[in-house]
Parts: sequence; C-alpha cells; structure tokens
Amino acid sequence: MSPDNDRNGDHGEGGVPFLPDHFVKELAVITLIMGVLIFLATLMPVPVGLPADPLKTPAGIKPEWYFLSVYQILKYVPKNVGIAWSFLIFPPILIIFPFFYRQYTRFRYGRLILHTIVALGVLFAVFLAFLAYLGFE
Amino acid sequence: MRLGVVDFLDERLDVRRIAREFAEHRVPDHVNWLYCFGGITFLCFMVQVATGILLAFYYQPTTASAYTSVLHISDDLPFGVILRSLHAWTANIMIIMVIVHMLRVFFHGAYRPPRELNWVTGVLLFFMTVTFGFSGYLLPMNQLSYWATKVGSEIAGAMPFVGQYIQNFLLGGAKISDATLTRFYAIHVVILPVVLSAFLAAHFYMIRKQGIADPL
Repeated sequence: MSPDNDRNGDHGEGGVPFLPDHFVKELAVITLIMGVLIFLATLMPVPVGLPADPLKTPAGIKPEWYFLSVYQILKYVPKNVGIAWSFLIFPPILIIFPFFYRQYTRFRYGRLILHTIVALGVLFAVFLAFLAYLGFE
Repeated sequence: MRLGVVDFLDERLDVRRIAREFAEHRVPDHVNWLYCFGGITFLCFMVQVATGILLAFYYQPTTASAYTSVLHISDDLPFGVILRSLHAWTANIMIIMVIVHMLRVFFHGAYRPPRELNWVTGVLLFFMTVTFGFSGYLLPMNQLSYWATKVGSEIAGAMPFVGQYIQNFLLGGAKISDATLTRFYAIHVVILPVVLSAFLAAHFYMIRKQGIADPL
C-alpha cells in the first residue's frame, strides 16, 4: 500500500529475462497489431472525401471523436465555463495530481475515492461522446 | 580476427555490456497483457513516422494543391491508398492506445511516488498525440478537414482571455488559409515529431531507471 522504493529499476532475480521470454510475447503483440492495422488499411481504406468548400457547410459537422465529449459538454454548460474547465483547469490537475499522493492517501479511502471519481468521469466522458456521435442537442 | 567488428566496437563503446543489460534485464512476474498498451502506442508512433515520411514525399501543403496531391497519392501511386489509410487508421488507434495506457497506469496506481515525473511526461505525450491528430486532420483539405478545423479553432477562440490570440496563432490570421496549412504542416511534421521523440526518450529512460511499479 505504500509507494515502492525500487528506484534503480532493478527487479533482482525475480521475473523473467527480457530476452527471449518477454521479447517473444512482445513480438506476438507487434504481429497482432500490425495485422489489425494492415487489415483496416487495406479492407477499409479511408476515403479522401470532397474538397474543402468554405461556402458549403456540410450537415452534422463534428470534431474528431477524441474531442466529442468536450464538444458535447459545451452544449450544456456556459461556453466560458466548459472551455475553461477543458483547457485551463483539467489539464494542469491531470499533470500534477500524483505529487499529492501522500496527502490524499493519508485519508483511509483517499485513493479509492479518487479512483471512483475518475472511473465515473471516464464513463461520463464516453457517454457524452456517444451522445455527440448520435447528434443529440 | 574472430568477431573483429564486435571487439572493435566493444573496446570503444562498451557495446557488450549495453547489449547484455538490454537482453538480460528482468521483467517482473506481475507484468501481464494489460501492460502492453504503452508499447503498442510506441509501435503506432513508428508506423506513423514511416508512413508519414513517405506521404511527405508527395504531399503539397498549399490550399491550391493539398487536396489534389492527396488524391494523387490515393489514386495514382502504387500502394498509395494503403499508405494513406494506414496513416489515418494508425492515428486513431494510437490515440485509443494512449488513453487505455493512461487508464491502466492510473488504476494500477503506477503514477505514485517515485514515478510522478513519468506520469507528467506521459500526460504531455498524450496532449502531443492529440495535437498530432488535430493538426494532421486539416492537411488533406477536404470538407471534414476544413470544417473540423473551423469548429476546433472557434472553440479555442472562445477560451477566456487568451482565446483570440490562440485562434490567431493557430490559423495564422482570421480564417483558414495558406498560412494555416503551412503552420499546421510545420507543427505536424517538424515540431511535434522532434518534441514528442524527446519526451518519449525521457519516458523510456525513466521506466528503465525506476523499473515497473509494484502492484497495489
């Protein structure tokens, strides 16, 4: 439950050697992923689409899928608040929270509470992205 | 004269010790399939570098010829459509893998001391990956590119205090033009690859230095 202290990266005699034991598994994953990528690229090629036309707004225009939850939340909260949260408040929190690990784990369920909040937040973000995908206002 | 080359390099660069260190370092027993997403992200990045360089041979970053050069890649070049599709698909898979990797690290609590700095570099790598996606999306100059960039830059422009400056900086003016395309291209093929590679090196160095976190 406490932070571990193996700062030198030396896992001693435990575990398996990187070569060949672990490396064989890595080769298997590399082969699988390359297979999936080549499958997608060859059997589901990405169309070039129509040339950009500033005068013709296409119907149902949306940002890329990884921006959909931000895009959707801006429909429900004041724009300033949503944007300030998404770009100015959330990213710094995401970056610095591990430095407060010792503070919040002093509470009995500190980490459990944080992990629950994040799990719910992730589900909410997926839900919002799904709504945006379906085109809900 | 046996193994002359290896002996030569070993005397000067200590390559045997480095190779042995690489091959023999122990991978702890608790490492399972959940630990593969960071590596898959790196694999995707290498695919993006390889396909991206090939695309850059033919792509032309001007509003007049960007679309037709992409059409040329897709329709005329041997394997061009596969090359382009591979780049586009891998971009999406890479972002999914970064997110899954982040969630894995988070829920395993692997960010806890002494690994806070590796979490920081990881989050920055995530932001860079998303910026890679956003900047690359404009380059084909099709309808999706144009309107997604317009919506995206308007969202950035609505940011309190700094919005207008950021929007102007992004677009190189008030609207999407040649200036936008060249700066997105510079961000996509020069700035981000260099900066991301540097952070990736730091990310990997810290993994080797600090080892893989113990389970909670």
